[in-house]
Amino acid sequence: MSAVSVEQVLGAIKKAKVITNVDKLDPAVLLSDQNVDSLDLSGMLLSIEEAFSVEIPDEDVDGIRTVNDIVSYINEK
Amino acid sequence: MIGISQIGVYIPERQISNLDLLEKFDVSEAFVREKIGVFHRARKEPEQKASDLCVKAFEDLKRKTSFTLEEIECCVVVTQNPDFNIPHTSAIVHGQLELPEDCASFDISLGCSGYVYALSIVMAFMQANGMKKGLLFTADPYSEVVDEDDKNTALIFGDAGTVSLLESSATLTPLAFDFGSKGKSYKGLINEGKLYMNGRAVFGFTATVVPASINKLLDKLGITKESIGRWYLHQGSKYIIDTIVQRLELDERKVVFDMYEYGNTVSSSIPLLLSKDIGSLRAGEKIALSGFGVGLSWSSAIFQKN
Repeated sequence: MSAVSVEQVLGAIKKAKVITNVDKLDPAVLLSDQNVDSLDLSGMLLSIEEAFSVEIPDEDVDGIRTVNDIVSYINEK
Repeated sequence: MIGISQIGVYIPERQISNLDLLEKFDVSEAFVREKIGVFHRARKEPEQKASDLCVKAFEDLKRKTSFTLEEIECCVVVTQNPDFNIPHTSAIVHGQLELPEDCASFDISLGCSGYVYALSIVMAFMQANGMKKGLLFTADPYSEVVDEDDKNTALIFGDAGTVSLLESSATLTPLAFDFGSKGKSYKGLINEGKLYMNGRAVFGFTATVVPASINKLLDKLGITKESIGRWYLHQGSKYIIDTIVQRLELDERKVVFDMYEYGNTVSSSIPLLLSKDIGSLRAGEKIALSGFGVGLSWSSAIFQKN
């Protein structure tokens, strides 16, 4: 799979309509500091798994705290 | 054909407020309102058991419709928190209600998918054996097993009991059912002393299997989702309901939601909702039911008011 960009990840989250303020998300800032709660994160990760055909096991979730982390995670798979 | 004619319910008066637990679990009122969807959880008295919830629901049923005990040919209880491991809780209910000796009684061990599964099981059982009237109870008091310090589960579950009168003269009858299991994921919701739920796993499961199950039913019947008059989805949480609605692109106005004042009552959640509408369904109206959770398992159905 070719490298995934921040824009593609944000696009997948936006398309899934998991959270309403995707356009305002700062990729480098903690999601928890941007009103993304635990349930939102579950929804986001499901949309990422479906959009990019990746599986994110529970033990890896703690290391995913920003949008940049999501991008890195996908690209390292 | 056997159908549902009336539903009796029992919601314990005692409540526990989630709004008193915001600080304990570091959540906001907005989170409780918009994501959990539960302000108060109904709680049975400590000495009450599943059979007691069933009997209370039966008292409500008797206020709503008339029949004699001698007419009842089967008594089924859906529960995974029975009075005892042995005997089955339905036997205890049978005794407390003084049902006739030729009445069959058995339990069905299912959780949140239990009501819809049980409708199919009991209707088929009654049909196959020429039965005309039966009682289908749901009573799964999770207060017996929830860890009140577990943020994942402590804010969600409430206690309740329901009883559906199933009879051959009923006009709310099934068109089709769908069932499924993901047994490899059974650890997602498990009681090994106290209830444990992997919220993320259960959410991911629900968000994927329920839309697929519904679409399979619609395809099977050759109908569109727009032809469904009302949607009765298991009240797992507001977030999961909103997710299913979004993924299926349902008209929100047709999706029944009502768990703010009693919580997720497991297999009682769908009959609790349906009990409020059963008298107002229009002839020809189709309704969809879908229960999902413990197992992990799911069951969906489309019924029609004749």
